[in-house]
Order: sequence, then structure tokens, then C-alpha cells
Amino acid sequence: MTEFKNTSHILKVSGIWKRYPKADTNSLSEVSFDVFRGEKLGIFGPNGAGKTTLISILSGILPQTSGEVNYFIDNQSTNFKKILPKIGFVPQDFALYQELTATQNLRYFGKMHGLKNPELEKKIMHLLTILGLDHVGNRKLDTFSGGMKRRINLAIGLINDPEILFLDEPTVGVDVQSKVAIMTLLNDLNAKGTTMIYTSHHLREAEDFCDRTLLLDNGRIIAEGTLNDLLKQHNAESLEDLLIHLTGKALRD
Amino acid sequence: MERFKASLLKEILLLLHDKVGLLLMYLMPMLLVFIITIVQDSAFRLVNENRLDILIVNNDKGPLGDSLVQSMKNAGSFKIDVKKGINEDQLANLTLEGSKLATLFVPSNFTQSLSSNSQRISDAMLSEFGMEAEPRSNAGNKNEVQGGVQLIFDPVLQESFQVTLINNLQTMISGIESKEMIRQLYADMGYDEIPSKILKELNRNPTKIAAKPAMSGESAMIPNSTQHNVPAWSIFAMFFMVISLGSNLVKERLSGSFVRLQTIPGSFLHAMFAKIAVYSFVALTQLMIMFAIGVFVFPLIGLPKLNLPSHVFPFLLISILSAMAAISYAAMVGTYAKTQEQANGFGAISIIIFAAIGGIWVPSFVMPDYMVVISKLSPLHWCLEGFYSLFLKDGSWNQLMGPVIYLISFTVFCQFLALWKLRRQHYI
Repeated sequence: MTEFKNTSHILKVSGIWKRYPKADTNSLSEVSFDVFRGEKLGIFGPNGAGKTTLISILSGILPQTSGEVNYFIDNQSTNFKKILPKIGFVPQDFALYQELTATQNLRYFGKMHGLKNPELEKKIMHLLTILGLDHVGNRKLDTFSGGMKRRINLAIGLINDPEILFLDEPTVGVDVQSKVAIMTLLNDLNAKGTTMIYTSHHLREAEDFCDRTLLLDNGRIIAEGTLNDLLKQHNAESLEDLLIHLTGKALRD
Repeated sequence: MERFKASLLKEILLLLHDKVGLLLMYLMPMLLVFIITIVQDSAFRLVNENRLDILIVNNDKGPLGDSLVQSMKNAGSFKIDVKKGINEDQLANLTLEGSKLATLFVPSNFTQSLSSNSQRISDAMLSEFGMEAEPRSNAGNKNEVQGGVQLIFDPVLQESFQVTLINNLQTMISGIESKEMIRQLYADMGYDEIPSKILKELNRNPTKIAAKPAMSGESAMIPNSTQHNVPAWSIFAMFFMVISLGSNLVKERLSGSFVRLQTIPGSFLHAMFAKIAVYSFVALTQLMIMFAIGVFVFPLIGLPKLNLPSHVFPFLLISILSAMAAISYAAMVGTYAKTQEQANGFGAISIIIFAAIGGIWVPSFVMPDYMVVISKLSPLHWCLEGFYSLFLKDGSWNQLMGPVIYLISFTVFCQFLALWKLRRQHYI
């Protein structure tokens, strides 16, 4: 884990609430936090804590019931529509077309982002190469392994060179080789300035990856800070230990 | 434009990958239109050409049985086979075992029966005029002779055909009876036979009945199995795209592709418009292929040729509105279905029900009154009404107004419901 120093805001979340139609309880309650440009923020919590809902709201997929989400460009608050082309989203699901080849998928989403040739083709080749998929670019995704699909899922999220990247469980269900390839690429991108908001159940991986940690339970923030600070504060030895300490051992649905 | 082109290419690739969907949209309706048209063609021919296959067992010992057989042959409405010397007990089995739809049994005393009836009437008429009949060799036979014909039907023959056959037979026997009565009258007055001048008048065709379909204009055509089945199954094919388009939409939604498109400004609507464009092309090619089969292939296998309407613009309008109604319905099903299985199951069953009540299988004009009312709920009915107006009537705007208004309303309704659902799910 690295210490993060930048204090320039890219995102400011102020008191957001979310209740789904027909739900008895709030999925998010009074959630407020800041995200700084170039940092890697990890959002963790047990199942049903509200992590995916929070990421969906931040990436514009879901509207919040109340509260504000403000994005900043050059420290100036900006309209969400302006920041949208600078957002990359890597969902937990394989949000891709399994009937198409890897190249066709990347080309389609690249064009939807408004990218043009020859830059788009160069970008596709670059992503396939760094994710170790250049030799299978013309194969249909329904012939890919889970790890290969996960890498393509990430590549699609990176096709527009995002300034802010939302990662919802980017390494779930992949082998160690794919995991290393994905995490190495994410660290490289972060080193070049990409801000990352990340959720995962791989807590060992998260400990190494994140600059700052946000712990959610029952839709509320229960702890926020650097992992070292949180571990000291709660006298815990690891992120897993900390989560158990703060959210208990009872099973969650 | 680049986004639209990219979406178009993606939709085409997805469609080409959907082999089952393509088979259902193109091959299934082609097979159906061949099979159903061939099957229905014989029924249409039966109605239009009245070629009922009939066996006549003529056991009559006199000449009038032969006259009846000749009249039946002259009528041209029946395909007749004549046998003699078969008794009444064998008739039912003969009909059931054979390929004939009906057997007419002419008893041995048919001539005697008709002659005795005619003689009684002739005698009564002469008596009314105060005249006395000439003495004859069979003058003593004044009693009524029972010599009626029997008609044995194959149980599968529809009641309407039975009634038609009985009416035809009744008319022919009445004609023979009338002629026999006049012959008797002349015989009673001492003539050996009916004078040739009178006979000629009797044989002259009576008042003619001019029958023609209620149509006008150049596009007036004779209804046949092709004119019904080609547009009917083309419409069915278009609506059956619910299997392909509906499950395509569900798949994209469940895979998360729609969610990803939400994070790309403006891309979702481009993707939806591209879908509509590709499936509009599918629907119009379905129509073109089916109509081409009706025009070029059907005549080669002995089926009636499809006569295309002469009004090009209304024809295009009804085709496009039918396609849009089918696409909008499929989009609505795909938007509301929670799984691909649900979209496929509900989509297929709903289209089959719409087809059944909408007159695709059996034209709605032969349905009972309450079913005719129910049929108006089916979008397929209104598509078919539009094509009927063009193919079988003169295709005037008055006739097309109903289908046009319904199809536009149906399309707007389905698209509104689909967009409302997508909006609720925050895709747009």
C-alpha cells in the first residue's frame, strides 16, 4: 500500500440516500466522502452493504434518491455530462457480446465512445497486447475462458482512456495469472494519473492495491481512511480482520 | 453517424450469429406458406370450382335415371363416376371405403315414380281445363310410386357442401319432373312427343344469374388460397421476429451491455435505432421473399399465382406499418421479459394466439360473430385487413383507413410502453 498525497478533488459525494422502489430499507443512507485525483479508493463491505449501488450512482447508471454527487475538472465543479466521456466502467458482469470477437467488441464500444480510426485500431491492438490477448483478437468471446473474458471486460472499460475508472470486482473468478495481468495494468494506469474507485471481495489484493479505504455496512459508511490508520485505530491486523471487527461474523444475504 | 453505423454492424453480426432466429424468421414461414397453401388450395378449389367427387349408382330401369346422370354431368360442378347394379345395403360401405365424398343412389323405379307423379299432375290440370286425357297403356297406375333418390355423404363432408349438393340435385330433379309433366300433358292430348319448338324453349337456359366478386378497379382479383396465405403467413413471419429481437434485447439487458452503454453518452439510443433499422430490413425482406414465392414459385407447382396489387404506395405503406407493428411488439416483449425463456415462450405463444384470432389460419370472415369482434384485438388481423384491401379489393383509402389507424396506434402504444419501461430502468 502506498501513501497518497494529492488533495485535488475529482469527486465529492454529499449525503446521498438511495431507496429502490418497493424496498423496505435504504440501500444507502447519508453517504458522504471525497475522491482525490489520481487515488485508488477501495470500497469494501459484506454482501448487500451497498457497494454496487454506490458505484452505479457514481458512474451515472442509477439516480440517487437524494444528496449530491459533484465531479471536478481543474478543481471546478462540472456538469456530469461533461465528465461522462472521461469515465470508464468495468462492471462485475461480462458486459460484452459473446457472439462477437474480442476485436469486434472493442471496436464497437470504441466507436460508441466516438473514437475514430486509425487511433481506435491502435488502441485496440495496444490493449489486446498488454492484456495478453493479441493472439485471440479474432476469436469469438464465447470460446474464451473466464479469465480471458474478464480481461476483455476490463479492456472495454479502458478503451476511452478514462480519467476516472470504476471497477466493480474486476478480478472475480479469474486465475492468478489473469489477476496479476489485470492488477499490473491497473497500477500502471494509476501511475499515469487515472483515478480508480474499486470494489472487491479479494481483501489481500485490495490491501496491496488501494490508497484509501471506505467501509460500508447496511448502506452506511462505518469507517474511512488509509488502511494503516484504520488498522491502528481498530487494533486490527488485516483488512479482513478489520471488516470482521466492524461488521461482525453473522452471515449476510 | 459513426455510432449508428457501428451499432448497425453490431446488430447485423449478432443477427447472423442467431441461426435459430434466422430459420424461424425466414425458413419456417416459407415452409408454412407452401404447406398451408397446398392444403387449403383443394378446399378453395372445392368452393370456387365446386368439383365434388360423387359416385352415382344408377339402378333405374327407365330413361329418367340416365337423364339425371346426364344433368349432373352437364352441370360441370361434380366429378362423376357411374355404377349400376349395386344394392342399397352396400351404399354406406361403398362411400366410406371409396374416395368419393357422396354417393347418389337412383332406385330402379325412379322413372316410374317421376312418371306417375307427372301423370297425376297432368291429369289434374287437364281436368281443371275440362278436358279428358287420352287413354294410355299405363292408365290404370294412378297410385303414387315411391322412388326417391338417396344421397349418402362421407361424414367429413361439410354441411354447407351437403346443402349445396342437395339443392343442385333438387333443381335437376325438378327440371326432369317438369319436362316429364309437359311430356305427359302432350301425351294426354294425343301427341306422341313434345313438339320440337316447345322442347327447344324448355332446353333454353332460363334467366341467367351473373355472379362476380364485389370489387372494382384494376386490382380486382379472384380470392384463392394464394391471395390469402401469402400475405397471412408473411405477417405471421414478421411478428415471429419476437423470438429473435425479443431475446436479443433480454440478452443485452441481462449481460450488462445496456448498463455499459448507459455510461457512454448518447450511445443507447443509437443502439436502439440500429436494432429497429436492422429488424425493419428483416421484416421487409421477409415480405419480399414470401411475395416472390407467391408470384414466381407457386405457379410452377400448380398453385394459383399471387397477383400483386397495382397501388404501389398503399402497398408499401401497409408493408412498412406491418413491419413497424411487429418490431414494436417484439421490442415491448423484450423490454418486459425477465429472461430469454420468458421472451421466447410468451412471444411465441402470444403470436400464435394473435394469429389464430386474427384470421391468419382461418379467414375471420368465416368465424362466428363474437370471434370477428375478438379478432379486431389482434394486430395481425389489421395487417391482414390492410393486405386484403389491397389484394382482394380495390385498396381505396377508405378501406385502408382502419388498418392504417390501428397499426399506427398499436406501434405507438408498444413503443411507449417499451420506452416507459426503459426509462424506469434508467437506460434512457
